[in-house]
This record gives sequence, C-alpha cells and structure tokens, in this order.
Amino acid sequence: MDRRRFIAGINWPGTAVLVLAGLTWEVAVRSGLLEYEYLPAPSAIGRGLAELAKDGILVPDIAHTLISVAIGWAVAIAVGTSLGFLLGLSPTARRYSLASIEILRPMPGVAFAPVGLLLFGFSLETEMVVTILPVLWPVLVNTMGGVAGVHPRLHDVGRTFRLSRKDTILRIILPAAMPAIVVGARISLGLALVLAIVAEMVGNPEGLGYGIVREQQALRPDLMFAYIVTVGFIGIALNAAMLALAESLFPSSRQLRGGK
Amino acid sequence: MTQSRRWRQYFSFMVAALPSARGLLPLVALLAVWQLLQTGNSPYFPPPSDWWNGLVLLAKSGRLYPALSATTLTLLLGLAVAVTMGAGVGLLMGVSPRLNRAVGPLLEFLRAIPPPAIVPVAILFMGYDERMKLTVVVLAAIWPIVLNTSSAAERIHPLLLDVAHSFRLSAVDRMRLIVLPSVVPAILLGIRVALPVTIVVTLLVEILTSIEGIGALMISAQRNFQSSQVYGLLVLIGLFGLLVNDVFAIFEAILLRRWPPKIQSENF
Repeated sequence: MDRRRFIAGINWPGTAVLVLAGLTWEVAVRSGLLEYEYLPAPSAIGRGLAELAKDGILVPDIAHTLISVAIGWAVAIAVGTSLGFLLGLSPTARRYSLASIEILRPMPGVAFAPVGLLLFGFSLETEMVVTILPVLWPVLVNTMGGVAGVHPRLHDVGRTFRLSRKDTILRIILPAAMPAIVVGARISLGLALVLAIVAEMVGNPEGLGYGIVREQQALRPDLMFAYIVTVGFIGIALNAAMLALAESLFPSSRQLRGGK
Repeated sequence: MTQSRRWRQYFSFMVAALPSARGLLPLVALLAVWQLLQTGNSPYFPPPSDWWNGLVLLAKSGRLYPALSATTLTLLLGLAVAVTMGAGVGLLMGVSPRLNRAVGPLLEFLRAIPPPAIVPVAILFMGYDERMKLTVVVLAAIWPIVLNTSSAAERIHPLLLDVAHSFRLSAVDRMRLIVLPSVVPAILLGIRVALPVTIVVTLLVEILTSIEGIGALMISAQRNFQSSQVYGLLVLIGLFGLLVNDVFAIFEAILLRRWPPKIQSENF
C-alpha cells in the first residue's frame, strides 16, 4: 500500500473535530462546567464498557441481541424472498394483494410489542413478533420489484433457449433480480438490529436493549452509554459486513450502496 | 386555471394514488376467517368484531381522543423542528465543503446510534415530560433530513451558481432563489425516510414512560389484559401510520408539481 496516499486520504479535519468534541465533553464534565448530574465523561463510558466486559455480561448480551437479529433476519429473508418471487412473477397475485401490503407496511413495529406481550409474555417469541414483520417488508418489496422489473427481452431469451419454468427462474430471473434482493436484505439487517433493541427494551428483558433500559433505571449513565456505544459499533460493523459481501458478490454494480 | 378544476385534479390524483381495492382481499379474508373461527371469548385472540367495541369503550371513557391528539401533536411539532434545524444544518454543510468534511465523521458516528437507543438517554436527562418526547422525535427525524439536504446542496449544478454570480445576487438572495428551491425535493425525501422512524420512536417513548399518547394507552390495555382494546388500538395505529404516509404523499405531490420533473426523478 502507498503509505503517503493512505495518510492523505484520511479526513484530518473530520478526525480533529471528532477528537476535539470528545475532549471538550471530557473537560466540560470534569471541570463541572456541564451541570448535568447524569452526563458521564467519555473516559467514564470507556471504564463502564470495561466493567461490563469484566463482569461477563457484555458478551452474553451481545450474543443474545445478535442471535435474535439473525433469527429475525433469516425468517424475513426466507418469507420475504419467496412471497416476493410469487408476487413478482404473477401480476394477478400482485393485483389481489398489493393494497393489503400497502396497509400493513407502514405499521410501526413497536405497536406489535403489546400484542406480543399479551400472547407470549416477556420472551424471545415477543421479540420475534416485534422484529419479523417490519423487517419483512424491505426484502419482500425489493424482491417483488426486482423480479417484476426483469427486462422482457431476458424472458424472450429464456423462451428462445426453451428453458423450463424452473430453469428460467433459477438461471435468468434470480440473477437479474439479485442486486435488488441484496439491497432489500441490507436495509432489513439494519432494521432488524433496531427492532431487536426496541423489543428488548419493551418485551424481552435480555440483550443490549434491556441493558440500556436497566442501566437507565439503575441510574448508571456510564453503563447505559457503554451499551449504546456498543450498539452503535455493532450497527456499523453489520452494515460494513453486508456492504463488503454485496460488493464481493456483484463487483460491477455500484447501485448497491443506494437505499439509505 | 379555475379553482374547481384544480380541486378535481387533486381529487383524481388521490384516487389514482389509492391502490386498487381488490388488493384488500387477503386482509379481509384473514379477518373474516378470524371472526368465523372464534369460539366463545378467547382472552388472546378476541374476534375482530370485539375490537371495535374495545375502541368504543376507550372513546367513551374519554381517553382515546386526548391520546390520539397528543401523539399527533408530538409528531407534527417534532417534524417541524427537525425540518427547520435539519434543513439549516444540511444547507450549511452542503454550501461549505470544508464544514462538511469537518463535521461529517461526527454526524456519521451519531447517526450510527439507533434512534430508539436515545429514548432512555432522554428519559434520564429530561425526566418524564412532553419536552422530552419532542426532543426524542427531533433527534430521530433530523438525520435523514440533514443528510439529504446537504448532499442535494452539494450537487447543485455549477451553472446555477454561475447564474447567481452573473446576476450579482447577494448571499441571501442566492440562498433564497437558487439553493433553497433546489433542495426542497431532497428535504421532502428526507422527511419521507424519517416519518416511519419518528412514529416508532414516539410510540416507544409512550410505551416506556406512559406519557400520554396512543402507545401509553396500548401498553396499559395490555397490562389490564384488555385484549380487544390492544387489537383495536393496533388497527388504529396501523390506520394512523397509513394516514400519515398518505397525507404526506399528497402534500409532497402537490408541492412538487411546481418543480421540473427532472429534479424530481433525480431524487426518487
């Protein structure tokens, strides 16, 4: 690697502002300039993180949240892509269900928390009730759009080669719709993390989301911020992993970055 | 153009925006099966006909309307503040590349924190009140607006800025006549991205703190095992979300009619 170019590529003013903001925060809290009782300094948050790690609760909490994200995401992808394929391939199915989807789609995920609590109490099932439905939509809608948007000429190619229905789907439609599906999956992954956190705050007293609420109620803001920072880093890591995966799968299409 | 013709245009637009009614079939079928399979009064799956009664009961007790208006007010006020602040910051960042570069990483870092995680922080700092609820909504809604505005302001065609130069426009006029009109579609897009998040965050605050609102009403119904009220409120919240989205879509379409389609398609 060209070391000089790497150094020039770093956003120095941006890094400086970031460091400066952290330092100002630290100094303001230590000198008592900021009169907030519950505002921990960055160093206190760091110590909080170390404390959580030493007590052996941070890793199980991370594991719990990641596992529920994985389950919710996997279910959403399985159901979303299959329904999306069905709806994308059949205009009739689309006509007779699009309005229902449009009604269910804007349903806020948290609203399912009381229903989940009613049915399952405080449990992983409640967490799944809150997570799966909202996470499903980006996958479903993107798959549907991707499949329905396959260029008609590609269908003609399939017919020319006398491909069977199964081969047309597997060898023509699936590869053509794949970028759209991956975008949907990427949006869903970020959403799954947010909703798992929400569900843990409200419906399942485990994992990082519950950690945040627990430390808030215990008046330990340093630990609360430690959990929040952890969640932030996990979000960044998941997104980066997904981007890297998408780019290694489809090196040519830069549009994959779209869809904030 | 006469007033009535304009209204007719809006009306036909709205009709066209509504998805065709036959698409409701799966939903209606599901509810019908639910209603028919119901035997006796199940505490977990009350038949849809009971949901309505649950809502009527809530309305009669005088708790439904205040909750509904509290949630709506928080959402509207929060969005108004978020748009003002977000568009302001976004414009400044878009106009000044130096500022953009300096503040960018900090904003990216803040944005990585999931909006619901700010709820406990706000509770701890501000206690249980309306001001806290509003702050949380603003913090959740502001990022998409800032980012969309700043990237649109960055992408303003240099020719447009040359035009401003040729006309010797003052900085204020350049902002008002050139920059602001070019970023309105992006601001609207930012709001559209922010809307669902703000609804979720508002409900979450209400559920966690029992501050007046639909979320608080729903969690108290759950705690009292009023299952028909829980489902009734779920439907109500669904309709609320749908209404907010549709009203915004219509508002957006009306506003953007004055923008050239090229700018619109660039952003959508």
